[in-house]
Amino acid sequence: MLDNLGASLKDAVKKLAGKTVIDRAAVDELVRDLQRALLSADVNVKLVMQLSQAIKQRALDEEPPKGMGAREHVLRIVYQELVHLMGTPGAVTLGPQTILMAGLQGSGKTTTTAKLARFFQRKGLRVGVICADTFRPGAYDQLKTLCDRISVPCYGDPKEPDALTIVREGLPRYRKLYEVIIIDTQGRHALEEHLIEEIININEMSHADHRWLVIDAALGQQASEQARRFHEAIGIDGVLITKMDGTAKGGGALSAVAETQSGIVFIGSGETIEDLERFEPDGFISRLLGMGDLKALVERAEEAISVEDVDVNAMLKGKFTLRDMYKQLEAVNKMGPLKQIMSMLPLGGMEIPDDVYDVTSTKMARYKVIMDSMTSPELDDPGIIGSSRIHRIARGAGAAPEDVRELIKYYKTMQRALKGMRGMGGGKFNMQRMMKKFGRTQ
Amino acid sequence: MFSSLKKKLQNIRTKFTSNIEEVVGAEVDPPEAEALPAPSGVEDDFAVERSSPAPPPPGEREEPTFINKVKVLIRDRELLLEAKDIEEPLFELEMVLLENDVALPVTDEIIARMRGDLVGRHKKIGSSVDKLVESTLRSALCGVLGDGLDLPAYIRESERPVKILFTGVNGTGKTTTVAKVGHYLQENGFSVVIGAGDTFRAGAIEQIATHADRLGIKVIQHQAGADPSAVLFDAVQYAKAHDIDVVLADTAGRFHNRANLMNQLEKIRRVMKPDLVVYVDEAVAGNDAVIRADEFNRAVGTDAVVLTKADMDPKGGAAISIAHTVGKPILFLGTGQGYDDILPFEPRVVVDELLGGEA
Repeated sequence: MLDNLGASLKDAVKKLAGKTVIDRAAVDELVRDLQRALLSADVNVKLVMQLSQAIKQRALDEEPPKGMGAREHVLRIVYQELVHLMGTPGAVTLGPQTILMAGLQGSGKTTTTAKLARFFQRKGLRVGVICADTFRPGAYDQLKTLCDRISVPCYGDPKEPDALTIVREGLPRYRKLYEVIIIDTQGRHALEEHLIEEIININEMSHADHRWLVIDAALGQQASEQARRFHEAIGIDGVLITKMDGTAKGGGALSAVAETQSGIVFIGSGETIEDLERFEPDGFISRLLGMGDLKALVERAEEAISVEDVDVNAMLKGKFTLRDMYKQLEAVNKMGPLKQIMSMLPLGGMEIPDDVYDVTSTKMARYKVIMDSMTSPELDDPGIIGSSRIHRIARGAGAAPEDVRELIKYYKTMQRALKGMRGMGGGKFNMQRMMKKFGRTQ
Repeated sequence: MFSSLKKKLQNIRTKFTSNIEEVVGAEVDPPEAEALPAPSGVEDDFAVERSSPAPPPPGEREEPTFINKVKVLIRDRELLLEAKDIEEPLFELEMVLLENDVALPVTDEIIARMRGDLVGRHKKIGSSVDKLVESTLRSALCGVLGDGLDLPAYIRESERPVKILFTGVNGTGKTTTVAKVGHYLQENGFSVVIGAGDTFRAGAIEQIATHADRLGIKVIQHQAGADPSAVLFDAVQYAKAHDIDVVLADTAGRFHNRANLMNQLEKIRRVMKPDLVVYVDEAVAGNDAVIRADEFNRAVGTDAVVLTKADMDPKGGAAISIAHTVGKPILFLGTGQGYDDILPFEPRVVVDELLGGEA
């Protein structure tokens, strides 16, 4: 996701790289590239113009702090302005609340409603869902099926034509039983006045704590206008971007955020009920600018690797065995697809061809099989693996002896990289080197 | 719909016209202009002479250097348009197109066409600037919009049953469109059967079954999770056995970057052998519309396009983008939630609508 926007912005920033003094022409060029990048990401035209004006002005007026190059200076301004544009992420409280979902037809409200129910359920709250979409055929069946899968109760009546009646009857009943209540509504757009009136009424009746607007990542320049009307009608206090797993860049959602003065709460990025992520503006932009998003990576790693899984201290002391590598590979698997992890590392916009990732993940699976055929002493002390052992392992794993040798070579590379990390006190630079090596062994 | 783009295009036209007129005005001033035997085309007369229909002959191009400009001015009493004369209105046109959701590459192309057509063009003093701008803009727009497709005529000419497969990403309105098209074809006297090929999304089969029930159309369905190819194959068999004219095949929404889902679609295409593959997208989609239309076209081919949710957006720039990228005719526009809210799309009418009349 967001690959394309990232690439064009990286190009734009790269052009400033060699320059020591900020000259007007270089800034102009960067701003123009930035404009094109943002426009092709569907960010509102007026917003882009405002943004580029602000960036241009600050880049030329402000003195770069001592020791900061022209590129870093401009980059920092671009970054700050983009963060500013994105607003703070919408707040999510983990307590009793009523959430009203609003959005255009086909933006993914029903799916997102179920995903949200799952989110709150996992946080240990009792969740109930009300289906106030009385118009679209199959809407109740859809929500009911999704909710049944996660055992969340779903209130609704496909035969009742009036959404208000459903909310009037369902809400008091659910409020007694559940802590978090999510009301799914019918898709509507700003020009359908009777539908806008309906959602105003639902909002008034339900006294919803949150009114969240669901925005399709592919939504274009209309986002701004639609968001404005929804905001006028019911006062949107959070935006959810859906379908971020496609190639759309979600610029429309930025316009919606700017229009509603709210923040992005969640992003949906997949078809299963778990595919919902909290939104982090810093990470979002860092990734755009090719600066890497260490924060998100670290969080993810912490989630995936529990303390006993990897003994970091032992590794840093140089006691890195095949057993550790095995755990590491498993951890990487848990962290998600390799490509996603790589996109979060600060590789300074290093280009990695796509097929490298594929090879890597299949190779990793093969390495694990080979290691499964090793004995405990071999895993603890790979030094004892000689030619005959290699042949035995290869037969056991159904692999060629060369594959086993390759694995051992890979292990040695990793070991060296870790030693290097200890020597330099750890940090970004070594991480980079390690990842580069990682790429080369393929 | 289109009203906003229409209004903006009107403004741009005026802008182009005035800029070109300024050029004309300025050029008449230099001393060389005195060499003219009878300077009939002074700027004051333009308002009157606007209406005279005399677009300069195309093909005649010269580099708009000063010497050439003077030469032409003296020889033919014509003006050569220079790139810088139209730079400003072109930039504005670019912004207008972008603001109206015309995708960046498509905008670039329209601008390039306009520039190519206008720069170096001979402009007769006194000939209508308005007409020149309009015809250039019209040809640029027509160029990117392509042709329409008359579905009833197509069906009448084809062997029955005509199999139509609907594809597209999630949430663009495929299922609703299938129902609407079914209704439209029924109104045009064709018998229709629908294949409930979306076996993935919860509630999708119920949705299409309810629509079909209301419209009195037979639906061929399996249970959720079934192989869509099998469902659609059955639908085709049913149509053959019962002499049905048209098979409408609904499918699950899928993202173009999911190889497996695209392969599944490819399998559907192989199994049911559709006569028309119709790609459905929404008129409010932004730049991504171009990318995904292109990917779908590459994976399973696209014969025609339906643009839904056109009522949400008075702009309709996505229509222009998608039509251009896919290079395929737009079949229908979806314009609302009722079964009748579907419009056959005729590009010439749209361009006329955009450029003609006062907005």
